[in-house]
Amino acid sequence: MASSAPRKRAAPVKTEVDATRATDLYRTVARIRAAELVLQRHITEHGFGGFWHPGLGQEGVQAGAVAALRTDDYMFIAHRGLGYALAKGMSLESLFGDLFARTVGSTGGKGGGTVHFVDPERGVLGQGGAIGSSFVLGAGAAISGQMLGTDRVCAIFFGDGASSRGTWHESALQASVWKLPIVWICENNGWAVSARISEQSPTENIADRASAYGVPGVIVDGQDAIAVFDAVTEAVDRARAGHGPTLIEAKTMRIRGHYEGDRQKYRDDLLVGDEIPRDPLGILREHVPASVADQLDDDARHEAESVLATVLEAPRADPSIIYKDVWS
Amino acid sequence: MTEQRTQESPGDGVSTINYALAINHAMAEEMRRDSRVWILGQDVGRMGGVFGVTRGLLDEFGPLRVRDTAINETFIVGAAAGAAMTGTIPIAELQFADFMLIAGDEIFGKLAKWRYMHGGKLSLPAVVRVPTGLLGGVGAEHSQSLEVLGMHFPGVKVVLPSTPADAKGLLKSAIRDPNPVLFFEHKGLYRVKGEVPDDPEFLVPFGVAAVRRRGDALTVIATGMMVDRTLAAAEVLAREGHEVEVIDPRTLVPLDMDTILESVQRTGRAMIVHEAVRTAGAGAEIASRIHEELFFALDAPVWRLGASDTPIPQDPELEQLCIPQVPGIAEAMRGLIAL
Repeated sequence: MASSAPRKRAAPVKTEVDATRATDLYRTVARIRAAELVLQRHITEHGFGGFWHPGLGQEGVQAGAVAALRTDDYMFIAHRGLGYALAKGMSLESLFGDLFARTVGSTGGKGGGTVHFVDPERGVLGQGGAIGSSFVLGAGAAISGQMLGTDRVCAIFFGDGASSRGTWHESALQASVWKLPIVWICENNGWAVSARISEQSPTENIADRASAYGVPGVIVDGQDAIAVFDAVTEAVDRARAGHGPTLIEAKTMRIRGHYEGDRQKYRDDLLVGDEIPRDPLGILREHVPASVADQLDDDARHEAESVLATVLEAPRADPSIIYKDVWS
Repeated sequence: MTEQRTQESPGDGVSTINYALAINHAMAEEMRRDSRVWILGQDVGRMGGVFGVTRGLLDEFGPLRVRDTAINETFIVGAAAGAAMTGTIPIAELQFADFMLIAGDEIFGKLAKWRYMHGGKLSLPAVVRVPTGLLGGVGAEHSQSLEVLGMHFPGVKVVLPSTPADAKGLLKSAIRDPNPVLFFEHKGLYRVKGEVPDDPEFLVPFGVAAVRRRGDALTVIATGMMVDRTLAAAEVLAREGHEVEVIDPRTLVPLDMDTILESVQRTGRAMIVHEAVRTAGAGAEIASRIHEELFFALDAPVWRLGASDTPIPQDPELEQLCIPQVPGIAEAMRGLIAL
């Protein structure tokens, strides 16, 4: 039985944190961060054919949540960054390949943005170009998992903006009644394009809504990857055991614009300089030796730079790809 | 089974059953054949569907394969899309074809596009069953013929059966098709009976038009409930000495233009009759293609009959005046032959 108020998870106690887990999370967050920064720089300097929605500063949610999933668990990603897909095991080459419409992309060169990332073998099923459309799709994947006799869970990432869609309401009700194995992970970064959360929601927390749907609501510090991992692990266990969905709200922040290049004139809380407040890397460093963390930062930077160079040299698809894969 | 009491059996592997039961049998047979096939929709379980089409399926297949949903069309089609891309074969029932628009993104944004967008790595073998057309007093929001939408969004197939046998054979093909299919079953045809093969391997292929009547004076392409009306009008014209060829495309995507063009090449005249609004209906597309391909073979311009450019009034008498009737179709045939 869900309690009426969402539960706030406490920050993990340093001594209880699994050192290997912390290092693994650090590596993932560092890889996502390096990819974010190399893309940001490239797009600023050279422009870009598509739209890139940066996930800078939100890497802790993405890395922490995905680490709580099995490789075969289904996942519908949100549009802010590539962290979800990278953390689930897709190669950086395939993701950059999609962004720059190169044949090495996961879609073979149709490319153009985060909506195209896909890897069914790793459960990465895509992201809706209509924000909030993953709720209903994810419910269907969860049903398939059950019908095929697996214990797969479906994780659905979304932002505070998507939480206003009717698709959320329809899915939350039906998934709760059917006890579908779903974990909803809301990255509440405070902004839906130009609208503040206070202009979209009468309650402070998205998770406040959980009790109305008869599911647990959990609020977690999204900058703390380990706290996110713990919260999502508990929800995944619950879903896998047949007890139904959980709504997790990870409080995070939007560092960049809605898209890279957005001048954000609507915003009065713009940050000055490059520092990310409550940086998920800094929080993880409390649990990882400095020399290890430094090395992981270097490795990640090297990976992102060399993969971007490789991808930019990779061929674009033949225009005949326009007519490919309309039909099975 | 109570259903069998309504069946008459002429023997030789053929049963005389109505269109609704033919659809029911198609689903039951495919669900027996393949455990991945399942159904979701409002009232499809305990009630057996608002039109009784899924009657008996909950008892045979259980609540995990015949799922009664809440009033949530977006969920119904969206969950079908998510399930299709993860290895099961959902049949989603909407209570009225009009409600496709409530699930517009799920049909036209997801089912139609997600294989393409994802470089062919996903398949979406879902069927969306949508009861279409006039029923008699169900009103402007429950009476539309919206099949042309499927033609305008590449990636979904569009099926419109006009007989019980086609309803069964086409639905079975739809369930076995690896692509998403919009299945427009006509509400006005549910109680029409016809001979339907019992063979569980009886399939009607997509993209193969049925020539319902042979003739040399004029080719009429008719869909859905307009097929029977067009055949009745052709009978009238036959008594007047004009043999009209009647073609039922059965599927609009894919569309069997070869059969249509071959016929029009012979007759030199063509008309399209559909229940959908005449303006920008499927008939406009078919007429354009005939004009493009056969301009010099035509003895007259291609005509179209369709519904008036109005919403459908709820009064049963008024609503019939909005769509083509047998006398009007016959009159148009005479007019076109005389040109």
